[in-house]
Amino acid sequence: MASLDEARELLREFPVVDGHNDLPWALREQVRYDLDARDIATSQAAHLHTDIPRLREGGVGAQYWSVYVRSDLPDAVPATLEQIDCVRQLLARYPRDLRPAFTAADMEAARDEGRIASLMGAEGGHSIANSLATLRALYALGVRYMTLTHNDNIAWADSATDEPGVGGLSAFGRAVVREMNREGMLVDLSHVAATTMGDALDATMAPVIFSHSSSRAVCNHPRNIPDDVLERLPGNGGMAMVTFVPKFVLQAAVDWTAAADENMRAHGFHHLATTPGAMKVHRAYEEQNPRPVATVSTVADHLDHMREVTGIDHLGIGGDYDGTAFTPDGLNDVSGYPNLIAELLDRGWSRSDLAKLTWQNAVRVLGAAEDVARDLQTTRGPSNATIESLDG
Amino acid sequence: MADLQDELRTATEVDALDALAGPFADEPYEPVSDPDAEPLERAHVILAAHPVADGYSGLPWALRHLPWFDLELGESAVDTDVPRMREGHVGALFWSLHLPEGLDGDPAVGATLEQLDLVKTVVRAHPEGLRLALTAGQATDVHNCGRVAVLLGPAGAAALGDSLGILRSLHALGLRVLTLSGVSWASEAGLTRFGEEVLREMNRLGVLADLSGASADTVRRAFAVSKAPVLFTRSAARALRPHPANLPDDLLAELGAAKGLCMVPLTAEQTGPSVRDVADHLDHLRAVAGPECVGLSGTYDAGTAHPQDLADASCYPHLIAELLRRDWAESGIALLTWGNVQRVLRGADFTARAAQQRREPSTAKIAELDG
Repeated sequence: MASLDEARELLREFPVVDGHNDLPWALREQVRYDLDARDIATSQAAHLHTDIPRLREGGVGAQYWSVYVRSDLPDAVPATLEQIDCVRQLLARYPRDLRPAFTAADMEAARDEGRIASLMGAEGGHSIANSLATLRALYALGVRYMTLTHNDNIAWADSATDEPGVGGLSAFGRAVVREMNREGMLVDLSHVAATTMGDALDATMAPVIFSHSSSRAVCNHPRNIPDDVLERLPGNGGMAMVTFVPKFVLQAAVDWTAAADENMRAHGFHHLATTPGAMKVHRAYEEQNPRPVATVSTVADHLDHMREVTGIDHLGIGGDYDGTAFTPDGLNDVSGYPNLIAELLDRGWSRSDLAKLTWQNAVRVLGAAEDVARDLQTTRGPSNATIESLDG
Repeated sequence: MADLQDELRTATEVDALDALAGPFADEPYEPVSDPDAEPLERAHVILAAHPVADGYSGLPWALRHLPWFDLELGESAVDTDVPRMREGHVGALFWSLHLPEGLDGDPAVGATLEQLDLVKTVVRAHPEGLRLALTAGQATDVHNCGRVAVLLGPAGAAALGDSLGILRSLHALGLRVLTLSGVSWASEAGLTRFGEEVLREMNRLGVLADLSGASADTVRRAFAVSKAPVLFTRSAARALRPHPANLPDDLLAELGAAKGLCMVPLTAEQTGPSVRDVADHLDHLRAVAGPECVGLSGTYDAGTAHPQDLADASCYPHLIAELLRRDWAESGIALLTWGNVQRVLRGADFTARAAQQRREPSTAKIAELDG
């Protein structure tokens, strides 16, 4: 208990920067952006992982709101603009708690004011529809990182959860990375294939992030980061933000999910189907085979290992709240971060280590991306390279 | 309460206050030119004080297809560049984001983002000549800094992808004018319920409605619904020249009553082949709609032929000289070139501020309203 108090005390000074939260998508899906129907100034525990009281309780000082849109629909750009509008509306509605943030200095200012710095991240290159001009428009609207892919390959980058396509990044994909460097938008390598991670690390001139990924050595799932990639982060200056999603972090949950998906397919359903019939099959399976439960300790195991491989200066947190149906015990919603910090204190992490994990690394990385952009803009104009001209 | 009432002014004092000029009384216009000088010379003097705020330029699409261009040194591939805008006393220019016909749905949203990006890139590449302006005050500031103010719009209604969230995102990117035509909610049949909601949201944000090319039903509905002045970025008088985008006299009279702004295009197709034809349209509009409701719209680089002597952005003094010959007062010319656009931009801004006090961002969906 003592360590939990100490964790809360520490988070008051060095609050959590969380790399990925899917609240905008949850609001879109649940209430079509009717923000009156989900007033996050009051508890929304019945519907969401996220609301302002729980963000405060969890010691969150900065949040990258994901402006994710599905990659299997044709209208990604318009939908992304709607997601961005949703975040901007949240900022306009709750100005005492949420502060728009576009720079590292904005994050520090928000902390000084006691508000939650609100940044945006796009999840998947499909959101720019092969257009560098659209990439710049997203930057102008406040988007500060873009995950290169979501679950599916795109024309210029391979996803971790798809078959090999272009084998990492195509020439246009490298041009996208360079343009992101020039704008000051962080390159996010969660969700991408290991080949893409390598190509992006070769191409980038600024630090990269993994907005929500854990360690593949601890739990073998393609969404996690292999050790050889983690080893490259010190040279790059970037960071890996550990995620909590049980089916990525706990081997038993990975295996259970694979078996459950197989069971769905055996009954003739898509593994993500949510029709009543599919749900019935799924519930029956779950009754026979209890779902394995991840805990705070599971996530701490990842952090311990990642710290060994990449060092304390390259770690962060990206919970993926409201982007996952299940969460670990003790990290059930956005109020749970102090439990993780307490666990790490018990494991002997020092206060200065934890300050880097929660706050300092993420602020440093965004600031470094700004510096690189400022440099590049003195020598390079905006690129209008097209995928046709580069990838043929 | 009693002692508060003691401080009320007596009736005579109130009358005395009424006699004073109100805070919003028009300042008397002070002429800047010598009335005995040559018209062309006077035109330059007047335009130096009251530059042209030009309502429509096709530059973004025209530049998109040039491999290289330099607007600051002069660019012969287009009709508009910084030297010629200085010569023509252009102080502000609306850069159209319209897309070629046949682009709608998803490509239109993305293509509009690309157009917006292109304008910003061009403006950034010409810092000595161009500067972006988002409000009337900024346009004046930019002019006072010796640059041409670039305003973003009009964009086509298809750019919204039928979503108010996208409208708000485009406004955040700087869009200030939207043309209400060519979509299901603003068609020949007029504005649908969703169309009216779009217009209300535009009022709330401060995006001006451009009704050039809109159907008469849409125009009338927009007059009724819009709390801010509306624009016609490219319309002349149909009484003088039958073109579908030109306005019949009854609509012009309604426009005058609604204190909107009709910007006359300098195109042979809509106004006629000579400077005198353009001046005829301006005379007619001034008589029917009123001097506060007339503006200019060069429509350069939009792929249309221009009247003789009005071939490019440097030619405005010829037109103003013609108006001076027709005994237009300096004050009327000042309104025509700069004042009316300022008024409309300010009107949109005021409306937006007031509306934002009363209205939350609209969450209306086209499927709910238009079914």
